Amino acid sequence: MNNKRAILHLDLDTFFVSCERLIDSRLIGKPILVGGTGDRGVVSAASYETRLFGVHSGMPMKMARQLCPEAILIKGNAGTYTKYSKQVTEILKEKVPILEKASVDEFYADLTGMDKFFGCYKFASELRQRVISKTGLPISFGLSINKTVSKVATGEAKPNNQIKIDEGYEKPFLAPLSIKKIPQVGDKTYQTFCNLGIKRVRKVQEMPVEMMESVFGKNGRSIWKKANGIDHTALVEFHERKSISSERTYGRDTTDMNQLKTSIKAMAENLAFQLRNGEKLTSCVAVKIRYSDFNTYTKQCKIPYTAADHILIPKIEELFNTLYNRRLRIRLVGVKFSDLVPGRYQIGLFEDVKKTVNLYKAMDDLRQRYGARSVMRASTFGAKTIGGVTNPFNGEPPIVLAHRTA
Amino acid sequence: MKFSVSSSDLLKQLQIAGGAIASNPVLPILEDFLFNIKGNKLSITATDLETTIVTEIEVNADGGGIIAVPAKILMDTLKELPQQPVTFNINEENFGIEITSAYGKYRLAGENGQEYPQIPEAEGVDAIELTTASMSQAISKTLFATSNDELRPAMTGVYVEVDFNHITYVATDAHKLVKYTFKGTSSEVSTNFIIPRKALNLLKNALNNAGDLKLSFNKSNAFFEMGHIKMVCRLIDARYPDYNAVIPTDSPNQLTISRADFQNSLKRIAIYANKTTNQVILNINDGSLTVSAQDLDFSNEATEQLACTYDGEPMTIGFNARFLIEMLNVLESDEIKIELSSPNRAGILKPVDEIEDEDILMLVMPVMLSN
Repeated sequence: MNNKRAILHLDLDTFFVSCERLIDSRLIGKPILVGGTGDRGVVSAASYETRLFGVHSGMPMKMARQLCPEAILIKGNAGTYTKYSKQVTEILKEKVPILEKASVDEFYADLTGMDKFFGCYKFASELRQRVISKTGLPISFGLSINKTVSKVATGEAKPNNQIKIDEGYEKPFLAPLSIKKIPQVGDKTYQTFCNLGIKRVRKVQEMPVEMMESVFGKNGRSIWKKANGIDHTALVEFHERKSISSERTYGRDTTDMNQLKTSIKAMAENLAFQLRNGEKLTSCVAVKIRYSDFNTYTKQCKIPYTAADHILIPKIEELFNTLYNRRLRIRLVGVKFSDLVPGRYQIGLFEDVKKTVNLYKAMDDLRQRYGARSVMRASTFGAKTIGGVTNPFNGEPPIVLAHRTA
Repeated sequence: MKFSVSSSDLLKQLQIAGGAIASNPVLPILEDFLFNIKGNKLSITATDLETTIVTEIEVNADGGGIIAVPAKILMDTLKELPQQPVTFNINEENFGIEITSAYGKYRLAGENGQEYPQIPEAEGVDAIELTTASMSQAISKTLFATSNDELRPAMTGVYVEVDFNHITYVATDAHKLVKYTFKGTSSEVSTNFIIPRKALNLLKNALNNAGDLKLSFNKSNAFFEMGHIKMVCRLIDARYPDYNAVIPTDSPNQLTISRADFQNSLKRIAIYANKTTNQVILNINDGSLTVSAQDLDFSNEATEQLACTYDGEPMTIGFNARFLIEMLNVLESDEIKIELSSPNRAGILKPVDEIEDEDILMLVMPVMLSN
């Protein structure tokens, strides 16, 4: 039996831009930037027209505007993108046996064994046309024997095209490409490669794996394997959420304690609701502060399993108070709940009077019907929208707008 | 100073007292037993400054005095010796101890017994007489419900309410609560105090099932005396939460069920619940109780149906199975009664057959269920 796999990688081209163009057809053919519009914003997606000017996603919006002043700026709306992303997911789910949703605009499908009936490439091409005709979103794919090669192939196929790497031709396909195209090779690793005088994948293919290991440690072996087109990882159909978090970068650095506390409280309140909604409990809470000098500090603390506002919010506040000690302006604050387990909040005998429990129930019912921000504490009124309303535990990857600064 | 004693008799007493020794004591001398010889009596003291146990044993002594003996090395030595007389020879100048067994000699360095901390004296105390049996009942019925939360010290002990003709013991960890009343006593005072969990654990091990127990207490300490064993413990100085206020008085829904059947069912179902939270759902209808649990992480799921007598509104309520199992474990009645009011209020467990002179009530908080 032929035990070679057939892995398809699909990627929606300039997804956010494409979505905006679907909504407003006047945007077609124009240079568009989607991302934060404030001074602090970064580019989440850039249309191909702007890329000619050297703009790429992840770049500060300010710089992008300098490079391409005629670009149209769009703030972006995670909700809309999720909606379109879901449409695509539905179409794909219906047709393929195993689907992994790697992010909002990226999918892997395992087509192993489909050859018998359809021919994988034909099937994939039809699938792509189906997505394009049903949603109107341009999509590209790469088809090969594993995830890495397919992903790289998609990158080569773009925009709005497709590519198939025949079995056995993985190495020659990768060889002439820049080493940067290998997933896992980021800016830092690329820099190291440059210092070694390596630019092309071919060089890595020719190197002994031991040499890679001595330079990059454990990662060296996996990069070497990827460069040689070896990747046995399976598709992950369900992404287990290990933590939920929320963070906010201020338009202007601040020391306004009121504003800061309002933000973290609102985040904690929102995340606690997500916990209860997803029937989860947390036992590790963390607060993150980034000062204006970009130094970032986090502090976390273990607590008994809980999902109750009146335990989590004071704890978060307490952590924040101990963490904030530099008398420096703050650029970003964040809240994270981890060590999640499925379960419902254990009601206490003494601190949870009947009223509190009923209050949570009532608030959560309201939020389920009218949205996460339909009812909130007065102390968190001032906070701007934080986080989405979706269930973070449905096995889908978080809808983080790409390239949020780490 | 010199004495000889049976190795196993001595070890038995050391094991009773040794429980008081902390694993990482604040003072090095607290790793020792204090040996005090008067006439032919050896008294052995061990303490962690909170709890102290003193026990006595007959020895053949030559001269009196006190010495602090390192606990671990002494007990380890005695454990490895078959039963036989051993002789202790103590040098009062340098506190050297020489133990002679049938096999040879062992030398270890002791410490000056005068430096051993003073044990609180029973001053200004009130006393009540109990039986060791009733004390041991009270401990086993309540101890499991105490809390580990050092931030709320009151709940790390058992609350004892002494009244003229009964004693009430209460333990809670804010999720479950046990209230056990024993009526066969008489006291001249009415008072209350909190005994730390560690002391009760030690007491449980030291109690032999026959005999009387004298419990004396003042503001800061409790003193237990049973036979040749004495125990002193510092009481927890904290305000105990108002437990009576949280016991619901209006629980119109009554469930009666076989204790063993319910407990066995819970034990099976709990295997399929999440291992950290142990949550199970009880679905109660007229005449039948459905117990179910699921663990989404592993796609585990289980359901069982049990016969019961139920008088009330149909109800779905979630509990931590571990709590229920622990509680059912200490009840003795064949059938138990569960009183409920609503899915987010406490459930009350009571035995159907009551024991004379005893009264027990257990309370457990549910978990919050979304609709």
